[in-house]
Amino acid sequence: MVKKRVPDWLNSPMWSSPTVTTSPPWKSRPLSPTNDDRTGGYPSSVTSSDSSVNEPRFMLPPPALIRPEPTLRTEISDSSIRDNDSSASVEEFSRQTQLLQELSKKIINLGELRLLASLGIPDAAGIRSTTWKLLLGYLPIDKRIWSSELSKKRSQYKHFKEDLLMNPSEITRKLEDSASPKNGDQIIEGKGLLARSKIPHGDHPLSLGKTSIWNQYFQDSEIIEQIDRDVKRTHPDIQFFSGDSASAKANQDSLKNILIVYAKLNPGIRYVQGMNEILAPLFYVFKNDPNEDYAVNAEADTFFCFVELLSDFRDNFTQQLDNSIAGIRSTISRLSQLLKQHDEELWRHLEVTTQVNPQFYAFRWITLLLTQEFNFTDILHIWDMLLSNPVGPRETLLRVCCAMLILVRRRLLAGDFTANLKLLQSYPSTNVSHLLYIANKLNSHSTQ
Amino acid sequence: MVLVLAIGDLHIPHRAADLPAKFKSMLVPGKIQHIICTGNLCIKEVHDYLKSLCPSLHITRGEYDEDSRYPETKTITIGQFKLGLCHGHQVVPWGDLDSLAMLQRQLDVDILVSGHTHQFKAYKHEAGVVINPGSATGAYSSITYDVNPSFVLMDIDGLRVVVYVYELIDGEVKVDKIDFKKTSTATL
Repeated sequence: MVKKRVPDWLNSPMWSSPTVTTSPPWKSRPLSPTNDDRTGGYPSSVTSSDSSVNEPRFMLPPPALIRPEPTLRTEISDSSIRDNDSSASVEEFSRQTQLLQELSKKIINLGELRLLASLGIPDAAGIRSTTWKLLLGYLPIDKRIWSSELSKKRSQYKHFKEDLLMNPSEITRKLEDSASPKNGDQIIEGKGLLARSKIPHGDHPLSLGKTSIWNQYFQDSEIIEQIDRDVKRTHPDIQFFSGDSASAKANQDSLKNILIVYAKLNPGIRYVQGMNEILAPLFYVFKNDPNEDYAVNAEADTFFCFVELLSDFRDNFTQQLDNSIAGIRSTISRLSQLLKQHDEELWRHLEVTTQVNPQFYAFRWITLLLTQEFNFTDILHIWDMLLSNPVGPRETLLRVCCAMLILVRRRLLAGDFTANLKLLQSYPSTNVSHLLYIANKLNSHSTQ
Repeated sequence: MVLVLAIGDLHIPHRAADLPAKFKSMLVPGKIQHIICTGNLCIKEVHDYLKSLCPSLHITRGEYDEDSRYPETKTITIGQFKLGLCHGHQVVPWGDLDSLAMLQRQLDVDILVSGHTHQFKAYKHEAGVVINPGSATGAYSSITYDVNPSFVLMDIDGLRVVVYVYELIDGEVKVDKIDFKKTSTATL
């Protein structure tokens, strides 16, 4: 059996880690809202992207590889890219203007937008917020109907909240008030025996009946408790989500409301731990939109986008589907196949020699959409690509995971079971634009 | 939305063996936030059982209670309401509404919960409301043998109280409710 050669492009110098370390990688990390504690365990680790860490976030991949890929770079105005530092900001600025241009059109071309977005969305001016809403199909492409669509959706969410988040006392009171508006307030002057009245629908707080709203309320309260616990644990290092400030509490309440409404509307899947992690970046982006109107209604917008995003991935959360074709196990085996296809040597070393079952690391990568593996700003960049790539988020996710494996191949090939598992379960920080570039490369080579 | 269980006069084990099965199946932990008990449990086992339903337990002493450490009267504030608790054998004539009203004014509470007569009553007068949850086991009283097991569950929601009355009549649980509101000024 002929052993498949490692393809040439994989052997290019950009993967290899230079042995000389000038400054530890993590010290030169650009500002991010979180402190990256993931690099702590690897003092001498130099990942293959070491050379590019010192540069600003939106840097391009090494210039040598740009020429063969003109199709992806047609938007770039300057052809010769000599100095990465200055050109990076120019390039970022040009991308920003192009995106703004695209977004200001009356009818937005979704294909164009996807192409621009897959290069990375700049953080400025709420571009990411609007782009994600368009990519997830929440905002229609015709700009003229935006306001009517938005108000429709927002009022729908408001009704959901009113219907589903009321406790049974309020529900019974509303029923009574509507049934008999003029009924005595029971404020009898003077003395008298208080009159007894019938209970509505035979429902009382200790009822054990299935249709009793009280019984349902007590059963739901378990889920609500779990949601509450998970929301409190989401991103404890980011001020937006946790801490004692009033805004953090308000944000946590919004997250809770969204998850509770989702759980009640989807009795089949309810709430599963991990949904809070998928929700967090969405809410963060939408809430920090400089447009006041959008920021105030972030909760409603996030709810619908969350539903949309989860519709692609809900099979990962359904336990019964675990072993089926749609479930998480088969997705993980597809990742395995993808790795085998692109880098057989690494695949063999991981699965056969060191017996690192992909379930040990890939489960969390896939179900949580990589939110636990990178710091917050990187998550946003990865999600830019996940949402914009035309092949769809599931396929793109697998490609990014594959790229993550390939990026650390040297260390994996040198490691045994424990070392590899340790490395993959706390993935070292890398240059994310580099990672996404590689994932894109896997695109074009997948038919090898 | 605070659920408060008012229960009392069980007289276990002297006059009754246990709560009726239908009542017991309804009383599960996790639903009720407070229990106020008029007294005459009479033994520690019943105290432990009530404590398992809800950790917030308030009891006053009835004349047959074996634990002498319970107080004669107690006042509790739940939400916007002040509740007073007393067994009722101290108020003579037993069950007389005017005398209970006097006690209520003394304790200065909105709702007075007292027992001893083993008959459910809910009565309003100028100083407030008096609720007698009856006997949860249907134990005979010094006044009558014909006692229906009953207890009361109050749903306190802001300025409004919904009182659910649970009675066991002919082997079936019957539930009624009573609504009343408190005006935002001090008294009902």
